[in-house]
Amino acid sequence: MTSGFLYFMQLFASGIAVGCLYALIALGFVLIIKATDILNFAHGEIIMISAMICYFLMAKYQFSFLTAVLITIVIAALMGVLTERLVLRPMLGEPIFAVVMITIGLSIFLRSLAGITFGHDNYVFPSPFPKEPIHLAGITLSMTQIWVMVSTALLVIIFFIFFKYSRMGLAMRGTADDQETALLMGISTKRVFAMVWGIAFVTAAIAGISLANVMVVNIGLTFTAISAFPAIILGGLESIPGAIIGGLVIGVIENLVGGYLDQAIGGGVKDVTPFVVLFLILMIKPYGLFGKEEIERV
Amino acid sequence: MVIRSKTFRESYYEDIKLFQTVWIRVWIFLFLILLATLPLWGNPYVIYLINLSCIAVVAALGLNLLIGYTGQISLAHAAFIAIGAYTTAILSSKVGLPFWACLFASGGVAAAIGFGLGIPCLRLKGLYLAMATMSFGVVLENVLITWDKLTGGVRGINVAKISLFGYPLDSDSKIYYFLLVITVLVILGIKNLVRTRVGRAFIAIRDRDIAAEVMGVNITAYKVMAFTISSFVAGIAGGMYGYTMGYIHPEHFTLLLSIQYLAMIIVGGLGTILGSIFGAVFIILVPELIKGIARFSELLIPALKGKYNEEWNIAAFGLLIMIFLIFEAGGLHGIWGRIKTSFKNWPYTY
Amino acid sequence: MKRRGMWMGLLVFSLVCLLAIPCLAQRGVTKDTIKLGLILVKTGPVAALGLPNGNGMVDYLQYLNDQGGVAGRKIEVIWEDDSFEAPKSVAALKKLISRDNVLTVITTGGSQQTMANLENINQYKLPNIPNALMKEFYDPFQPYIFAMGATYEAQYETIVDYIFNDLKEKNPRIGVVYEKKEYGIKSMEAVRKRAKAYGVDLVSELVLPTGAVDASSQVLGFMNDKVDYVVTCLLLPPTITFVKTAEKYNYWPKHIFGFNWATDDMLVKACGGAAKNYIGVNFVGAWGDDSPGIKLAREIAQKYNRTDISLTSLYINGVGVSWLFGEAFKRAGKDLTPDSLKAALETLREYSTGGVFPPVTYTSKSHAPGEMVKFFKADVANKRLVAITDWRKPKEMK
Repeated sequence: MTSGFLYFMQLFASGIAVGCLYALIALGFVLIIKATDILNFAHGEIIMISAMICYFLMAKYQFSFLTAVLITIVIAALMGVLTERLVLRPMLGEPIFAVVMITIGLSIFLRSLAGITFGHDNYVFPSPFPKEPIHLAGITLSMTQIWVMVSTALLVIIFFIFFKYSRMGLAMRGTADDQETALLMGISTKRVFAMVWGIAFVTAAIAGISLANVMVVNIGLTFTAISAFPAIILGGLESIPGAIIGGLVIGVIENLVGGYLDQAIGGGVKDVTPFVVLFLILMIKPYGLFGKEEIERV
Repeated sequence: MVIRSKTFRESYYEDIKLFQTVWIRVWIFLFLILLATLPLWGNPYVIYLINLSCIAVVAALGLNLLIGYTGQISLAHAAFIAIGAYTTAILSSKVGLPFWACLFASGGVAAAIGFGLGIPCLRLKGLYLAMATMSFGVVLENVLITWDKLTGGVRGINVAKISLFGYPLDSDSKIYYFLLVITVLVILGIKNLVRTRVGRAFIAIRDRDIAAEVMGVNITAYKVMAFTISSFVAGIAGGMYGYTMGYIHPEHFTLLLSIQYLAMIIVGGLGTILGSIFGAVFIILVPELIKGIARFSELLIPALKGKYNEEWNIAAFGLLIMIFLIFEAGGLHGIWGRIKTSFKNWPYTY
Repeated sequence: MKRRGMWMGLLVFSLVCLLAIPCLAQRGVTKDTIKLGLILVKTGPVAALGLPNGNGMVDYLQYLNDQGGVAGRKIEVIWEDDSFEAPKSVAALKKLISRDNVLTVITTGGSQQTMANLENINQYKLPNIPNALMKEFYDPFQPYIFAMGATYEAQYETIVDYIFNDLKEKNPRIGVVYEKKEYGIKSMEAVRKRAKAYGVDLVSELVLPTGAVDASSQVLGFMNDKVDYVVTCLLLPPTITFVKTAEKYNYWPKHIFGFNWATDDMLVKACGGAAKNYIGVNFVGAWGDDSPGIKLAREIAQKYNRTDISLTSLYINGVGVSWLFGEAFKRAGKDLTPDSLKAALETLREYSTGGVFPPVTYTSKSHAPGEMVKFFKADVANKRLVAITDWRKPKEMK
């Protein structure tokens, strides 16, 4: 293999790893949009809070990584259900704008609450993965990256099975498809919504813990959610496979642009590229790659 | 014989009258007098906050025209404000144009770019449109940083002092009158716009775009027009911002600012003029008000001293937004409507 | 109905009158108190920088109070939060002046906030030391702004000098990773210009934003270009991300350099062995230094129960700023006004803060900082930074 090709493959591989992170973040957004049509602006806060909780469980209370992750996931699920019950259920049937605004209010509230509870310092997550990287056919990948990829893949498989075969999953798909019909079929949409928020927050927790492994844990972690927006749109707002593919595509494109164009042109093309790609894709496909095209009747 | 109730209207014109009753005229007149005398009794801090509110009101009106009236979600509002602010900064400090020329140019440049953005966004709806406009904002921020020959890049750029026919507006209270006049003009302009054919077309597009088209509303033209007018107003707000701050920087106009304007119009009430005003004033003044209350309670209860965390202010602000919206999804305008009705129908309130 | 309206009107009017009562006393100074304002970010993501800095300032002034105050006066500080937004910073300044009637605002926030406040600072005569390092603060001369630390340009010139003179490199392969913010771009341009002056072009210039999820493409790019010396123009969190990513790919440039906002013990604590090649510059001493000033800073931190300060260099920085003001209050003596405070600050000549800052000199013609920095190296075993040079300036280049 030539060094040029190796360089390309290396960029590609790390792009996939980053893409998995984007996909994890996007997944939570898409779950909620699919079921309830709400863009949850507080998603970034949940990511950050989960990362913080996991950090504190490990650093302060000396839990092992696995127990800390489990506790964090349980807390996140509880937060999701509580959020739905306390904040969103009163808004059932209200205009969608008001509901989205509620999530903006929630994000302001949660961010400050996190500042009060966890402080404003930068924390470094005690990563449980070995530091030694792994070499696969000349490509270097860290253990963290591999674990992020593995957990994303696992999550996707679990989701696939859950939505395809479980009763609750079926109920969720039904509700997402048509709320009224679902109600008529005897599905408790209230319970479905609570469940959806719970699951979405769990994916946020997993994303948060994965991010904590590669980044510095601080309040600024909330803004990573914005970097996943292109991934959500690229895949189409209502498509779970779309979120995964969107995340991976954006991750790879970003890294390739960073590895080649940033050198040549300079000036941080890397950060703008996802947004330009997003804009161009929307010009061609107004509902993203896998989005549900709405057929309207007057 | 006709027995007329207070809200009885006989013609469509009466329904769209600028001032519905004489009392509204009186109240508005009194309110304007109060505002006009503000520099006599307010201190610089209060005046400065009102100045910021004026800018926010203008910007929020522009956004409400696009989102509240036409139903086109945009997260690029901060970008258009930035365009306006930079146009004013460059024309006033590098070219030396007078303020009215700068403001018109700010609006014009922003409108031209808004027109340009509106055309490719025609096919997009809802969140997809929001994201497309958001990416425009991100790209523009980068352009402002990179094109440093023109914009000063990360060093920021100074805005020349404003002067009115040779008379410099160099203090907060002088700028205040300037901002107040523009704000009133913009409010009147938009209020008039939405009761014309154009405004009705916007509302028709918001409510059901296909139905509107069937009825003969040219969607393409009106959507692009909404983008253009909204950007024009945003450009003017940007010019006002530039003159008030005296120094602008790309980081003043981030996505978070766009979200803040979105918050203003939703908290205030979508698709209402009064709502934009309420919302803008709410978002600007309430955090300061909470701060003041917090300071005050710290003085009252000495046990709080030193233990208090500023984050509580912001948390309270977020909570307040949520409570208001859960209480009334129509925002502050809806709450205002409720209060008014209960007064009007007193004692038969229910 | 009418009655109610009248009462409401009266209520509003009386509230308005209450708000409008102007303060007639002399600004901020009484027989036994000095009232000071301070504007620094306390909330949101940037609070990680604002809090330790402001705590340092407040603690040192409290320490002065506990020593008996300055010229018989106790100092009171009102710390306003600006959420790192320029309009809010201006609002806070107006509030401090018109509501709280302070003598001066010792810091009005970061660079943008101070720039937005510039006019007010001159109008209200507020001697202050901004928490930012812009050339615009002293060139052209600003009568009330006293610049504190070496500018980004000076810091990076010293770093490039170090590569060529101390490390005796003839043709080093230098790569810069920066952020598209004020500090990043200015720093990157300074490195580029300085290296050019030595006859060397930069091999690579890459961008890494603060919120970046990953620094792989940057590290891989440097590896691909065989960069020996990485110069980072980044805040602490992305620097940590970069250093750790480099370790992940087993990429060990000869040295990684960084500037004052990243040169903190935290970096060594966070990166561990990955930071072994890190060399940073800073215009304040390190927490572990033996100098009397730093010892005092540590004592003060202990006295006021600051047990875990995350960014010690910023705390020291805050102590230093208050130190200069404390000295100026002493020199101004009984007759303390904004102008006498300014005059007192301008009497400082080669004034030593015991290793907190480099020697400080302000004159009535220039409020420029000393442009001096120290080099620090990571001491991985003890998780701290140790100084490897004395204070030094960029070399005069012909």
